Amino acid sequence: MNIWAYIIRRLLYVIPVLLGVCLIIFVLFNLVSPDPTLIMLGKHASVSQMEDLRRELGLDRPWFLQYLDVVKSAFTFDFGRSWSTKQEIIEMIKAGAIPSLTLSIPAFVISTFLSISISLFVAFFRGTILDRTIVFLCVTMMSISSLAYILFGQWFFAFKLGLFEISGYEFGFPYFIPYVILPVLIWVMLGIGPDVRFYRTIILDEIYQDYVRTARAKGLSENKIMFKHVLKNAMIPIITYVIIQIPFLILGALLLETFFSIPGLGGIVLSAINSSDFPVVKAMTILISVAYIIFSVLTDVMYTLVDPRVRLK
Amino acid sequence: MAEKILEIKDLCVEFNTDRGRIRAVNGVNLEVFKGKTLGVVGESGSGKSVTALSIMRLIPTPPGRIANGTIDYRGENLLEIPFDEMRRIRGNKIAMIFQEPMTSLNPVFTVGNQIEEVIELHQSELSKEQRKEKAVEMLKLVGIPSPEQRVTEYPHQLSGGMRQRVMIAMSLACEPDILIADEPTTALDVTIQAQILELMNKLQKELGMGIIMITHDLGVVAETCDDVAVMYCGQIVERADVKTLFNHPQHPYTKGLMESIPSFDSTSGQTKGRLPTIEGMVPSLFDLPDGCNFQDRCKNVTDKCRGSEGEPKLREISPGHDAACFHPLS
Amino acid sequence: MSETKTQKSKSLWQHAFSELTRDKLAMLCLTVVIVYAISAIASALGFIGADWAKEVGPSYAPPSGDHIFGLDIFGRSVFDKMVKGTEVAMSIGLVTALISMVIGVTLGATAGYFGGKIDEFIVWFYTTFTSIPYIMLLVAITFILGKGLVAIYLALGLTSWVGLCRLIRGEVIRHKDREYVHAAAAIGGGDFRKLFLHILPNVLHIVIINFSLQFQTAIKAEVILSFLGLGVQGRPSWGTMIDDAKLELARGVWWQLAAATLAMWIVVLSLNILGDALRDALDPKLKGK
Repeated sequence: MNIWAYIIRRLLYVIPVLLGVCLIIFVLFNLVSPDPTLIMLGKHASVSQMEDLRRELGLDRPWFLQYLDVVKSAFTFDFGRSWSTKQEIIEMIKAGAIPSLTLSIPAFVISTFLSISISLFVAFFRGTILDRTIVFLCVTMMSISSLAYILFGQWFFAFKLGLFEISGYEFGFPYFIPYVILPVLIWVMLGIGPDVRFYRTIILDEIYQDYVRTARAKGLSENKIMFKHVLKNAMIPIITYVIIQIPFLILGALLLETFFSIPGLGGIVLSAINSSDFPVVKAMTILISVAYIIFSVLTDVMYTLVDPRVRLK
Repeated sequence: MAEKILEIKDLCVEFNTDRGRIRAVNGVNLEVFKGKTLGVVGESGSGKSVTALSIMRLIPTPPGRIANGTIDYRGENLLEIPFDEMRRIRGNKIAMIFQEPMTSLNPVFTVGNQIEEVIELHQSELSKEQRKEKAVEMLKLVGIPSPEQRVTEYPHQLSGGMRQRVMIAMSLACEPDILIADEPTTALDVTIQAQILELMNKLQKELGMGIIMITHDLGVVAETCDDVAVMYCGQIVERADVKTLFNHPQHPYTKGLMESIPSFDSTSGQTKGRLPTIEGMVPSLFDLPDGCNFQDRCKNVTDKCRGSEGEPKLREISPGHDAACFHPLS
Repeated sequence: MSETKTQKSKSLWQHAFSELTRDKLAMLCLTVVIVYAISAIASALGFIGADWAKEVGPSYAPPSGDHIFGLDIFGRSVFDKMVKGTEVAMSIGLVTALISMVIGVTLGATAGYFGGKIDEFIVWFYTTFTSIPYIMLLVAITFILGKGLVAIYLALGLTSWVGLCRLIRGEVIRHKDREYVHAAAAIGGGDFRKLFLHILPNVLHIVIINFSLQFQTAIKAEVILSFLGLGVQGRPSWGTMIDDAKLELARGVWWQLAAATLAMWIVVLSLNILGDALRDALDPKLKGK
């Protein structure tokens, strides 16, 4: 089977998954969740008021039409209006995406680069005290609540020492930079523990393979073995792991954005959650799911390109 | 007498494990001659592979450590030369092939690429085109059909036997003095085994290298070796040329190994009776007995073997035939 | 044949056990987890931490000899709240891990064992499920179930089974064509018998390792839920304590954050190290690394 046939098959599988995602979202938000009109109008609303609102929101229509709406929105990105702000949701998302990405992209790039470098370094010194210390440090860092990092970081570095902006945001380059430095740093701190551990395991899995012994027996230097033989093999799972994280960057870091008052998508989602603004929550869920599905196809295709062993089934 | 190219003296290799330190190789002496094949025979855990890896200085350290001994290659002690010099010897003067042809090649590089790599490393004077030519030539030498096409293929596209041929091609690309073959045919089908051994014999005649054949299979020894050393619990228990060893084994362990090979009676067309096995188990390296390591499995055991006079040393029984036994068989 | 099989697997477990007991750090961590578990039970039975709601001093009194972690806004002992919070944390860890274990093992084993359409359906289901961001699923489920401890159990349990399900499915597929399973079929073992008696014991180590991982993930996730306003109501939990700290830190009140973070850090770290030790001892593939 050639690569194009594989890509087409892989894309066809997107359809049932996407329909499934829409089904779960529909079931969760349209079928089993509490009546939104009750939340919006309060307990004392009359029956006729509630029925009017239901009609207005399209909640009185047959269930399959409501399901079709969800499916349609996954393709058109027309999510309707927010219940609380009455804005077009897609416009809200567009406006929120930029601040989110100014935080998440630098944070993601730095933490990925840093984690891979540290794990290569650690793998080089595998089995030594240095290796064990760094691994232990990673586990220690992972075991602290992420909220504690944010609270402490903001309080200590921004509030006490005054090194960074405590919160806020300004649009446009380079004005946003001072506002994102601290959140980026905290993001990197949060990610480094699990990432280093993950990358280290992958690299060590390769280091103990027989082909490494063969490479040594050929007379190759340890550097060449590490950076040519081991890294090329380790890159396969690493690329997968990295790519599949990208869709979630849209959401930014929900917690970080809220604490640092960055007007990104994380904040929009959070206020939508607090005000039971279902269309916004649904829209964000659909959007990220669609992105995730697209990126998982991308990962699979990349995989076949990088790894000669993959047989296209 | 052929030229002696490698001499191992009193080699001891230790490993630190969770349960304490063990001596995987304990006082081994071996000699390799140009154009000759030395067989090292033993069960798994007897220290034969560790001995082979020590020559290449490929013992994983930690947990392993070469505790004692010298490995003399053309006047240089391989255990003392700087690491960079050792790397120039690996794959160039001394090459090694391994038991696992399925995993010993790097899955993400083409076969040609991996052969060219070793040529580039040790014969840097060759141009890229010359290296490519040489890789094809090597594949042809080891009997791989349509080598021009095979060089561009990845290991997973080849069968186990083909991969082992590639390993041999790779190890011989720089025309080494010594080829260490660590159970090269164990993972292969019987018919392929024979082909690979035949290939190695043929290439030895053409290229004149010395071979160290590590195996647990006396059949392989009979087919390929000139001299044989039998290892048990990290020590050599018997050493002789192949004919003497097969005809007059002196150590009960060697004899036991030979008796456990199925033999076929060509007149009756049946195997000869029930296959004898060596009773008992190999003692744990953590807990070796005093005296002879083979005492618990030996039919001729006496008090002497149980440690009253220390452990049996390897001594000459007849010219060119050594055994480490208090009661040699003949 | 089955006798040697059980002997063999027994010795694997025995070996793992002896390896674990020799690992001093792992044993220390196990002790810590047991201490936490006992505290949680004692607190549930009312032996300790029962007076957490009592006002024992001025609002926001800093740590002192009487109250080592100081007092909160209502003058309640932060130490008592921390102890009481252990109960919530440990129960969330335990119940969540149990729920995700049951779902993961059932779906994974069913998919792997029966294959065909059933497998396709389950794979489709979890592929779909993982496509939806975890935090959104959590939010949606708590919307439906309302607030409270049961909602948290279910929300965390229902969203965390996919990893285990995948692993179990893969392992069952690997095992079901092995000789010993065929042998069991040959002597007349039904599907149920084959699956439970012959295959599942061989994947048990994955379940155990996953359990310890899930346990600590759930404890950490409770903090996030509390922050989202979906946490435990009417009783102290580490999550609500940490969440409270967002208003306290600016006033210099750090002790509530410190107490909850410390309590959580120690048990999560112990579970992490214990999980690693379990994996090293039980997963022969990773031996010697």
